[in-house]
Amino acid sequence: MHKRVFPILLALSVAAIMVLPSFAQQTGGTLIIGRGADSVTLSFYASAAPDAEVMGHVVETLFRLTPDGKIEPLLAESQRLSADAKTMTIRLRRGIRFHDGTAFDAAALKWNLDFFRNPANAVPFRAILLGELSDVTVVDSNTVQLSLARPFVPLLSHLTHNFLGIHSPAAVERGGGMRPPTGEPYGRAPVGTGPFKFKEWVRGDRIVLERNPDYWGSEKPRLDQIVFRTIPDSGARVLALEAGQIHVARAIPPRETSRLAVNRALRVDRAPSVRTIFFGFNVTKKPFDDVRVRQAVNYAVNKRAIAQTILGGAVRVSDAPISPGVWGYAQTMTYPYDLQKAKQLLAEAGYSSGISVTIHHPTGRYLEDAPIAAAIQAQLREAGINMRLATLEWATYLAFTGRPVDQNEVQAYMLGWGTVTGDADYGLFSLFHSSQWTPAGFNRGFYKNPQVDALLEQARGETDATKRAAMYKQAMDIIMKDAPWLFLHSESQLTGVRREVQGLIVHVTERMMAHFASLNR
Amino acid sequence: MATDSALPSVPRVVPRTGGVAVWRRLRRNRGALLGMMVLAVFALSGLFASWLAPYDPYRSDLEGSLAPPSGMHWLGTDELGRDILSRIIYGARLSMVIGSISVSIGVVLGVPIGLFAGYFGGRVDLYSQRVIDVLLGFPSIILAIVLVTVLGVGLVNVMIAVGIVSVPTYARLIRGQVLSLKIQEFVEAARALGAGSGRIVFRHIFPNTLAVLIVQTTLQVASAILSAAALGFLGLGVQQPTAEWGAMLSTARQFIQLAPHTLIFPGLAIMLTVMGFNLLGDGLRDALDPRMKL
Amino acid sequence: MLPYLAKRIMLAFPVLLGVSVVVFVMIRLIPGDPAELMAGQAATEEVVRGIRESLGLDRPVIVQYAVFLRNTLRADLGKSLFNGAPVTEELAQRLPRTARLALASIVVAILIGVPAGILSATRHLSWVDSAVMVLALAGVSMPIFWLGLNLILVFAVRLHWLPAIGHETWKHLILPSFTLGAASAAIIARMTRSAMLEVLRQDYVRTARAKGVAEQTVIGRHALRNALIPVVTVVGLQLGTLLSGAVLTESVFAWPGVGRLLVDAVLARDYPIIQGTVLLIATTFVLLNVVVDMAYAVLDPRIRYE
Repeated sequence: MHKRVFPILLALSVAAIMVLPSFAQQTGGTLIIGRGADSVTLSFYASAAPDAEVMGHVVETLFRLTPDGKIEPLLAESQRLSADAKTMTIRLRRGIRFHDGTAFDAAALKWNLDFFRNPANAVPFRAILLGELSDVTVVDSNTVQLSLARPFVPLLSHLTHNFLGIHSPAAVERGGGMRPPTGEPYGRAPVGTGPFKFKEWVRGDRIVLERNPDYWGSEKPRLDQIVFRTIPDSGARVLALEAGQIHVARAIPPRETSRLAVNRALRVDRAPSVRTIFFGFNVTKKPFDDVRVRQAVNYAVNKRAIAQTILGGAVRVSDAPISPGVWGYAQTMTYPYDLQKAKQLLAEAGYSSGISVTIHHPTGRYLEDAPIAAAIQAQLREAGINMRLATLEWATYLAFTGRPVDQNEVQAYMLGWGTVTGDADYGLFSLFHSSQWTPAGFNRGFYKNPQVDALLEQARGETDATKRAAMYKQAMDIIMKDAPWLFLHSESQLTGVRREVQGLIVHVTERMMAHFASLNR
Repeated sequence: MATDSALPSVPRVVPRTGGVAVWRRLRRNRGALLGMMVLAVFALSGLFASWLAPYDPYRSDLEGSLAPPSGMHWLGTDELGRDILSRIIYGARLSMVIGSISVSIGVVLGVPIGLFAGYFGGRVDLYSQRVIDVLLGFPSIILAIVLVTVLGVGLVNVMIAVGIVSVPTYARLIRGQVLSLKIQEFVEAARALGAGSGRIVFRHIFPNTLAVLIVQTTLQVASAILSAAALGFLGLGVQQPTAEWGAMLSTARQFIQLAPHTLIFPGLAIMLTVMGFNLLGDGLRDALDPRMKL
Repeated sequence: MLPYLAKRIMLAFPVLLGVSVVVFVMIRLIPGDPAELMAGQAATEEVVRGIRESLGLDRPVIVQYAVFLRNTLRADLGKSLFNGAPVTEELAQRLPRTARLALASIVVAILIGVPAGILSATRHLSWVDSAVMVLALAGVSMPIFWLGLNLILVFAVRLHWLPAIGHETWKHLILPSFTLGAASAAIIARMTRSAMLEVLRQDYVRTARAKGVAEQTVIGRHALRNALIPVVTVVGLQLGTLLSGAVLTESVFAWPGVGRLLVDAVLARDYPIIQGTVLLIATTFVLLNVVVDMAYAVLDPRIRYE
């Protein structure tokens, strides 16, 4: 990659990048965004970034995570967490209406939160986002009180999660309700309070949003329409961008960036992401039940070479289980590429004659996932680890790697976790706490360390930010040494943007925000 | 079905052609000669892949990935820095295996069905024809996809799927042949001499279908290779990191701008091989029996 | 004429029934509980139970098939596991796009194939003839998806003349329809050539020529008309190739038609969608074959009496 292309960007650890400061902004026009995957649902049953990205324009959350990682009120006006961290009182902004004309008030909010946290509704992110919520009380028409079963400091961060965008209760009912597993039929045409209204969804092809002329905020949307187009093949996406068929191309192949950088009609923006990519080990099964084997794999994989070549330098080699940009992140350690050390550790563990393992990975889910797996396979061969690769389609993959411990046949699996609430709890608790062994949570390698458990629990209830951060640092130090993962890298978001586009935000939570973007003609 | 019209409908006596005569005619056919040359290269690469390939087709060198053709890597390297020429050579071996096994499946299942249906007629014929009709009711790739859905992806299942897809073609073809052969005098004569059905079918009728069978099989290998590559390209066939031509193209499409060589060479390999089989098939047809309508 | 048509249509019914049996059996051959397959991994026990009941899985297989057939005839093919949308809705949205692509490619195939065939027949054994035949051979030997990618490489990447993806305007249609039509064009060229060669040797053509009728008139009036029958045959024979090719072409050009839907569904193990697409494609194929046979019968009266 050319050094002069991203001179400042490389240094930035800011959570997002504004595309050109906006001056002389124009109104009108249709912004076309090309992305790799269509949304599945635009309701509480959302489960991935392509859903969140569209929903963010239509439905709004109580609080929002700013591009630089701060939490600000959005639909809420203010909040107060009690000293014991067990009650949160939220005051709502007045006078906001949903796109269908009904009012956003305390009753509407209660309806939304109650729907989300009701186990009978089987909302996929119920437990992880609102599992600690025990009651929602309407105090008056614009005040709501949330009661918690246990002290739970990250609640505010969780309320910024896009899946918790507030829908119009009347519209949900009119739209036929939301049913598991995908929030049909309402989830096909959401109604919220956002700067854009849902207009049309042609499955597998496009989602069209139109400007909400009555948007309540002080900053008004400028574009007439936003179109999210699904173009699965990344090469085709780049072509469409270069030909001007689309204005924005998400997830540019990393190796294309230097070629595109010389094209004056567009630019490639590299924004960090809170997604960490790793290979998780099943620590209850041979050979990865031995910490020395896990460490050996960490030493035997040249993470830097993978980052530089396959990923075109567009990622950051992990030095902690979570990414910079997440509150609570701290640099811990890395395992340098050291083949001798790896062989020595394997010998100590009694595997000097080599190991054969099967490793599962998804295809097309993360940046270059299959090539990364293939590269790791080739590198581990040098250390005497014979690795068989197995790939499965995504839903099957999740189910297969998510089986309970006594039925789980996986030896190691590749996964990426986006800490989209911007708080370490979301990135650590569900992945490393022993109460979160799958299927209860996302601890799919059955890692258990009482010290880590205790630290993660304490941190949840600790209201002093400094002390809380120290707890996470300590927990992460232990996790890194225990090596329940092969720690790989934090992803970046490579977005190709045509020059005429202004005011676009690539949010660290892997969302493209065109709320207040405009097109220069 | 419209496909009926492709089958020979004119009863005819199959000339008993000696191998020497056929070879002489084949040798005079420039197209067939060219086809045989291409196929010889293909077969040799497949058979001696481990000697011919300059590199280990699975060995990756990340620093040297996506390199254009050079003195070191004649056809360049792929996204993991693997040598494309070596992968194409190993791919020839794989295509050879896929082509021969899937076609064998088609012959072993399809030919007996055609022989018996044609010879016995009646219910055997009626039922088998209805099943064949239904199988022909699916465009070939769709049927292959249905089979892969049931069996799962991977090398073995691809061969099974591609093989089964060709069963109806063989059954139809052989049945048509038998229908015109069984009313021939030599069959009548054999029957009059007291030969049993099995003997008549296998000793008298089957040898006379060989010419058609050989030509069809040559052409069928071409279409089997194409189908397997198509499945590989769609991600429903042989999986990475196996050096299969279609799967190579599937990965390469992403680098269409950056490294077009990763796209061009595996495709050329498929095209040349298929062309070789098509030329040879056409040549064989002309050499064996110019009136054969296939 | 009419009895033939009636018979031909009647013959299509058992085939369609057979197709439905294959599709019905397909889901049941996949290892696992069909209800769980159709409900998806994320489904709750309740949803699975609902589907088990609606499929009649606790009843004998023959009843299950009857239920399946009834639902199919009512255009109830279930819901996509991926996004919960009704399968029929999804198919209805995509079928016209695939139809547009297929039609355009037939037009392309005829527009290229027939003139090329005539050209090479009238210049028999010249370099033009050889060139056409070599191209035709390449056309049938080339993997269709590779041709598509090469066309993108040349016309979209290098020359910037045509869009690589999308389906909005006629410009978007050019590369995909050429990709899909190329193999058929090659076969039509071959067939037209040999039919023309045969016709040109016929007495009436020789007579016309001897009488001093202009060459163009000879070819135009006498020869071409007689060469049309093989062309119709080829179009009929190519339908399967065309529909198979559509699956690949749609994948190459991100053309959101039925073919791409099927491939995506197989990759995502979205069984209701797989079932629906396969059923739709096969049914269309069978019915189109009926139409082609009828066209054939109209063009060539001898057919009806066979």
